[in-house]
Amino acid sequence: MKKIVVPGEIVSIERKRTGEHVFLQNGRIYSDVLGIVDERPTEVAVVALEGFYIPKSEDVIVGVIASEKATGYMVELNSFTQSFISKKEVREQMKPGYIISARVIDVNELKEAELSQVRVFYGGEIISISPVKIPRVIGKNASMLEVLKRGTNSTILVGRNGWIWAKGGNLPLLIGSIKKIEVEAHLENLTVKLQDFISQSNKSVKFPSKPLAGEAAKPEEIKEVEKLDKEVFEELSNESDFNGN
Amino acid sequence: MATKKKEEKESKKESKSKENLEYVNKQGKRLDGRTVDETRPIKIKVGVVPNADGSAYLEWGQNKVIAAVYGPRECLPKHTANPYKAMVRYTYRMATFSVPDRKNPRPGRRDVEISKVSSEAFERAIFTEKFPNTAIDIYVEVLDSNAGTRIAALTTAAVAVADAGIPMRDMIAGVAVGKAGGNIIVDLNKYEEDAPDAVDIPIAILPNSEEIVLLQMDGLLSKKEWVEARTKAFAAIKKVHELQKQALLEKYKNFESTPSNDGSDKQ
Repeated sequence: MKKIVVPGEIVSIERKRTGEHVFLQNGRIYSDVLGIVDERPTEVAVVALEGFYIPKSEDVIVGVIASEKATGYMVELNSFTQSFISKKEVREQMKPGYIISARVIDVNELKEAELSQVRVFYGGEIISISPVKIPRVIGKNASMLEVLKRGTNSTILVGRNGWIWAKGGNLPLLIGSIKKIEVEAHLENLTVKLQDFISQSNKSVKFPSKPLAGEAAKPEEIKEVEKLDKEVFEELSNESDFNGN
Repeated sequence: MATKKKEEKESKKESKSKENLEYVNKQGKRLDGRTVDETRPIKIKVGVVPNADGSAYLEWGQNKVIAAVYGPRECLPKHTANPYKAMVRYTYRMATFSVPDRKNPRPGRRDVEISKVSSEAFERAIFTEKFPNTAIDIYVEVLDSNAGTRIAALTTAAVAVADAGIPMRDMIAGVAVGKAGGNIIVDLNKYEEDAPDAVDIPIAILPNSEEIVLLQMDGLLSKKEWVEARTKAFAAIKKVHELQKQALLEKYKNFESTPSNDGSDKQ
């Protein structure tokens, strides 16, 4: 189990590069949020367990059209402010309530996002999860997402802002799985747990190979997934540029 | 005339009895059995308001406080927003049933003052410059009170802010110190606060840097007494801070022991 720190707790007393959610004070490195310590030889960071979404350049987000203006649309994206998309960027006529995905191309000093590459989605549902737990929903090399897609047969698009668009397949199971990820995001081996969880509630689902009792009985593939999952845990804040479809 | 004299005599007698009250006895115990540098029992629970971004509930002796944090979110009305930093809006309220005589629910001078000084304490603790043009709303409701509620409220709010995931320099912790019957004591209760020579000093600090973010005083102290009071307060605050930490970690403890199929660590 990795160390969980609270705001103001010492993360490291060595001289290191400071990553996210840490700050320097009197030559010591402190955490500024409730999170898990991610210490590497040259760098130290804290992966937040609680938090909110701040737009970052190159993020893919799922948004909802909030209102229509003369020259564009205001998009709600689970952040402090709504974002504006020019009508030049979109080909389709949209109305408030339309679900879109977009890429953040720039963020200004007031943390307002500029969006582009807009795609419109018809139907489906938005499932929300804490934005800091999105990396776990994707997993290293999208391993977790693969499990979710196979297990529920849904079309899924994960937005960095904590909103997940899904359509078709076994939606109640998907919602249940995402709830489980949210509650157990700070634990290891989550991908394997999710496989068990999905195959228990839906017997017809077949994963490449089911984990058997004990480590030795596990096929290579599962071991690999587990290994990847562990790496994900260490690099929870991975910047994997992800698009679900 | 005679009755008046009698009344005077009686009131004198009463005040005398108060003065004679032994606030700290020969065994070093106080009226409620505590030692001079002991706080009342503290219990903190995190995540009690499901709709809030962060929340906490605290029982500090007879004090019962609930805190909820929302934000950072859009600052409305717009003219109150600051394009350089987030506004911290702290709202301290006492429930009408929190005191023996019904409290008028309208925010009075005292509520407004406590809200102001507490929000200034949080402005120092939170990295407000990271969230320009936004507001962080902290609502604290006192459900039951018995002296020292502003510190109890601040302590609860600090845990709630941490639960909301808002970046902070440190988790604010505090305690009230003071004097009753000539003794410097920590965490006064109502009886001690009503002593004839009572001094009440709520202190809140950032425990790492020992930076004072809130300090108020009722009554008079000599410099020597103040130094003693401060030392005792800082020691007590460290203990309160430890309880705050534990309360936050408790939220994530429940799942650690769940059996998982990870034989990988053992082999």
